[in-house]
Amino acid sequence: MATQYGIKCAVNLITAHFGDLVAKVCECLLRKGPLTLQATVRFTELTSSQVKNCLLVLIQHNCVQAFTLEQSVEHGDAAKANTQYIALFDNIIHRWRFSKFLNIVSQNLDKQCVDLLEALLQHGRLTLKQMSDRAKSGQNEGDDVILDAVQEAIIKLLNAHFIERCPASEPVLTNPTKQELAARKRAAKSAKIVQEQETLEQRVVEAAAPSEALRFLLVTQTELAADGGKDEIDSSIVTPGEKRKRDALESETEYGAADEQVVLWRANFEEFIRHLRHKACIENVKTRLDDGAVTVLKAMMEATRSTEKKVKTENSVPLSLSSIYEEVIKSEEGRNITFDRVRASLIQLSCPPFVKADNESYSIDFKKIIELAQNEEAESIVLKRYGKDAYRMFRLLSNSGHLLETDKIADATFVEKKETPKILYKLWKDDYLQMEKLQVTGAKRLQQFLLWKVNKNILREHVLDEMFHAALNLSQRVAFESEQEKEMLNIPKDKLRDRLRKVALLLGSSQMKLDDAIMLFHDF
Amino acid sequence: MSAKRKRPGPASDSIVTEHEKMVHEVIRSKKDMGASQWEMKREINVADNVITKCIKSLLSKSLIKEVKSIQSRGRKHYMSAEFEPSNEITGGAWYVEGSLDTEYINVLKEQCWRKIYGMKVATLEGIADALKRSNVSQIELSKQQVEEIVKALVLDNQVMEVTSTGTGEFASIPVGKVCYKCIGKRGYGGEPKLGALASIPCGVCPQISHCTPDGIISPITCAYYQKWLDF
Repeated sequence: MATQYGIKCAVNLITAHFGDLVAKVCECLLRKGPLTLQATVRFTELTSSQVKNCLLVLIQHNCVQAFTLEQSVEHGDAAKANTQYIALFDNIIHRWRFSKFLNIVSQNLDKQCVDLLEALLQHGRLTLKQMSDRAKSGQNEGDDVILDAVQEAIIKLLNAHFIERCPASEPVLTNPTKQELAARKRAAKSAKIVQEQETLEQRVVEAAAPSEALRFLLVTQTELAADGGKDEIDSSIVTPGEKRKRDALESETEYGAADEQVVLWRANFEEFIRHLRHKACIENVKTRLDDGAVTVLKAMMEATRSTEKKVKTENSVPLSLSSIYEEVIKSEEGRNITFDRVRASLIQLSCPPFVKADNESYSIDFKKIIELAQNEEAESIVLKRYGKDAYRMFRLLSNSGHLLETDKIADATFVEKKETPKILYKLWKDDYLQMEKLQVTGAKRLQQFLLWKVNKNILREHVLDEMFHAALNLSQRVAFESEQEKEMLNIPKDKLRDRLRKVALLLGSSQMKLDDAIMLFHDF
Repeated sequence: MSAKRKRPGPASDSIVTEHEKMVHEVIRSKKDMGASQWEMKREINVADNVITKCIKSLLSKSLIKEVKSIQSRGRKHYMSAEFEPSNEITGGAWYVEGSLDTEYINVLKEQCWRKIYGMKVATLEGIADALKRSNVSQIELSKQQVEEIVKALVLDNQVMEVTSTGTGEFASIPVGKVCYKCIGKRGYGGEPKLGALASIPCGVCPQISHCTPDGIISPITCAYYQKWLDF
């Protein structure tokens, strides 16, 4: 869910990339939720044609998804359907991470793949023909050679899941029946772990997504012309079996009878975020444990990456010690690591519990690593903004997870009893703590106690909103410094250039680092 | 009226003594919590100056004593001579003269950290023994006091609490026993890694909730930003 400053950041991004009109339509959808075309026209006070064009731009760049919600009318009339448009907040924010995504591909694949991805990020979505035409314009090779090279690059990107087929243009979302709603309620009551309720945005994205069989499938001309399953499949695919692929292809009627030339492709943001999540986990563990433990953790992530069904996977698939060892020795850093060292590293990784052991099987506890990193980030803010005493109090309340009385906090943190309420009050006023009053009738008089608590979910939302606020501030300052550059005519050029370079470096690196923290709180 | 006009003598002594008795009774009834003059005034309907005189007299006769209370906020606190002040008003073992003995606590914390660092992994008993052997504190520390110091180190993020697995570095410690290790690769007093938000002006700004793009406080007008980018 988007926070207030999250929305402002998103609007700021769209304005910078596509202009004020598109940003106006986008902001309307972000603030009001999904709307029909008519409703969007009414709220934005733009013309229908202007709104349509803006929506087309936003859809092209995967920032908006159209869908139809079946409205079942109670007295038995035919179901009405109205196209609505929903803003995809996450995809909008991903736009300021494109350089990180390109960096991942450049580390794993060749330049052609990087160029192809860059084109997809720039244009939002492209067909195979558009990608080939683009490649042709920059080269002197023959058409077939270029097409082969482009296909080869696409296949590499598909194998790595860095690109995917675009979703359906207008999926139909059915309202859950009364029985389905009742079943969900029963499941929620009986479940030991509380499941997050799927938002409308998640349901729309799921409904629009191509099937897993098709999502990373490129069917070449050879296969289309083939007569009954003899040719080799020259593509990446998740599930094996040519016949199953053909059946899946034929059933996907929205792609228009296997006309692969008009299939649209786009960057698969999910896979990039997964990579960045793994990277963040490794960075976090690096600050606490030695290189051996980090190498083992990396190997476990590599071995289980393809089995992760969603980005926010809580635990990796369990692996045996020997599977982990086999994966470790594949890498350059792990070549000389012994079996015993792997075992010792796994014990190291269990404290704090980054890796859980269960009957000789080991799995990574991603949730724990991410939680610890989030705690550290929040604690760092408290330390710098409110001081050491506040830091200790915040950590006490965060670790205990329940309400604690003022004097108990003073005792545990070694702070003067009369100073403690002032510090707690400051944290509470700035929404880092929750407070409750407890009145107890004593022997002669009424006593009032103040109880304090850290609510992790509320805190996470609050810190995330502050981060978006800071990100917006950084963007504004970057723009301001660029403007200032033009006006600094009386300063010697060398000195000016030197200052501008340092400012650009500092602001740029701060933006990147802050974005990592935003992903930690929002995407991981 | 006539009692007040009497010259000092045995008769006037008994009237002052009566008031003294009342005041002493109130103080004694509070046992190890004691009472302030304000509390005494609430319980017995006697003029302030009379209470002050009684207190002075009782003090001189060593029937009551003055004690420091961490709750009394500058008000003097009195206790009947036969009681020792409770932890609630002294603050406990870490308080001296009504204030936290910060210097003593900090010395103990550092020594405790060094013992844990030396032992790599330590139980509370191990830490307490090590502190006792090194005579860090002139007063013998109870196990509870050692635990309070160690837990404060955990809150400082200098030390972490772990559970023994009975293997590797925990080989000499029973499985499941709570023990402590120093954190990470920094020395005593080293601050934890600076977070992303905390390393920019907005992260530490006390005015962030008032900062808006076009407001009086904005990233363009911000004095903290100006200082940060002053190359």
